[in-house]
Amino acid sequence: MKQLEIKNLTMAFGGITAIDGIDMAVEEGEIRGLIGPNGAGKTTFFNACSGRYPVTSGDITFRGHQISGLKPHEIARLGLVRTFQHVTLFKSFSVVKNVMAGNYLHAQHSYFGSLLRTRKTRRAEADSEQRAREILDFVGLGDIADKTASSLPHGHQKALGIAIALAAEPQLLLLDEPCAGMNNDESRQMINLVRRIRDTGVSVMLIEHDMKVVMGLCDKITVLNFGNIIAEGTPAEVREHPEVREAYLGSQANVT
Amino acid sequence: MQHLDRAHKAAWTGLLIVALLLPALVAFDTYLIHVAITITLNVALATSMWMIWSLGFISFAHAGFMGIGAYTSALLLTKLGISMWYGLWLGALMSGLIALIISVPLMRTRAVYFFMASWAVGEVIKRNFAYFRDLFGGWDGVFDINPAKINLGFVQIDFADRVAYYYLSLFFVALIVLIIHRTNSSRTGMMYWSIHENELLAQHTGVNVFREKVIAFTVACTLAGLTGALYAHYQTYISPKSFDIWKSEFALVHVIVGGLTTVGGPVAGAISLTIVDELLRATGYFRTMFFGVVLIATVILLPGGLETIPGRLRRLFQRSGK
Repeated sequence: MKQLEIKNLTMAFGGITAIDGIDMAVEEGEIRGLIGPNGAGKTTFFNACSGRYPVTSGDITFRGHQISGLKPHEIARLGLVRTFQHVTLFKSFSVVKNVMAGNYLHAQHSYFGSLLRTRKTRRAEADSEQRAREILDFVGLGDIADKTASSLPHGHQKALGIAIALAAEPQLLLLDEPCAGMNNDESRQMINLVRRIRDTGVSVMLIEHDMKVVMGLCDKITVLNFGNIIAEGTPAEVREHPEVREAYLGSQANVT
Repeated sequence: MQHLDRAHKAAWTGLLIVALLLPALVAFDTYLIHVAITITLNVALATSMWMIWSLGFISFAHAGFMGIGAYTSALLLTKLGISMWYGLWLGALMSGLIALIISVPLMRTRAVYFFMASWAVGEVIKRNFAYFRDLFGGWDGVFDINPAKINLGFVQIDFADRVAYYYLSLFFVALIVLIIHRTNSSRTGMMYWSIHENELLAQHTGVNVFREKVIAFTVACTLAGLTGALYAHYQTYISPKSFDIWKSEFALVHVIVGGLTTVGGPVAGAISLTIVDELLRATGYFRTMFFGVVLIATVILLPGGLETIPGRLRRLFQRSGK
């Protein structure tokens, strides 16, 4: 089943066309890689899908709902959640509170509940904390749940960013460079984490520059260049594609 | 969700007991009870201003909304003869209603633009009071805003009596602080602080940031309106000058000196600075200057404000205990 369907999507900023009429579909349960040189329009594509920037023209459909034109919080509510390229956390919150804040959609917030502190509210808050700790165990941050987010090393902050997104209980998770700035060890853990996320039934789409990560992890890869899709297919197909080698890797490159 | 630990509970209970016994503690001294009422009103204003801060905004329109509550209640009494008991609520509602309308454009601005826009809103509210002479009495203001009397059958309470008014004021202020504390220490507060910390991320985790900002601003201004109505019936006289930018500025100073991260901050700040301000009354002309020195000294010597004192003391004792 197609989860995310993009038809003729164009994103223009003034005179610059960052995405120039692309079509794409992401299947349920797949890990899709989105690669391309700097400025190819990858992050813009994520910004369009998550509602951060309004779509210039074209349609984005997610699980049967048209999401182009919706606000980020409405898209998150439908089950499409993203992370950001540069670490974005609630920095002064503790780790577990970060994830609880991410759990907003499923925490049954109500003003009167907060004010009267009803039994239902207290139970919902306890459940939310419980859920947050489970998610932290899942991403491997369970034992540092009570530290302040800003005190964590980079790799852990990245993982926490994903934990926050998972707390919103997405059907499709968009990861913007999950392995940026990581050493080999941290990258391997991140690859493992993304696989485990997919195994829980969440489709994943990710932007990544590290070829080892992309080739090893993704079921299918889409290559963008200057706002157009120049290739799409399995890692092996993309690796052999002449235009990809030309545009992205340099014509002489030997990709492993 | 940070439920109060025992030390906090003890501190709040202690404060409440002192507040309840206060008239007896100061031997029913009229001047000191006047100071106490001023403190309660300042606490209410600073705390509701802090509520807006929990989303990351400093509103300079706050005194203006206090003024809307005050004028509504005052005019209901002087023009229509509607007593304070309705005026308090209607004043708060009017302030909330206008806040709701204004916050729709206002909450689309950010940072320094919000600061300037809210300043303008506060100023416009004040100017309106001054401009429409027939309705608001112009710069001369409104007189004879008498507090109410109640007859309980066996006893009659006249709220023109300062002790009685002190308890009335204390009741409402405690209510305001309780509402803000409850909101702040629950999921709602977590949502507000998440907007404060990282609006973009909050939005992408499903929070309707704009809606929450409008609600928070409206609630805070409703509470400011209630404070204003209480102020009007205590002073029995209000003028546009009572609600100018300085009122907001003093509330902001209370919040900053008290501390920005917990509801205890504005409460501690408003209590201590109102007392300092009264102590400086003897200095006459230099009062504002000394006040400024106190402010600067606090910010430099006690970064984080008064709310950090318990933590500092605890660390001090732990160190000397070793």
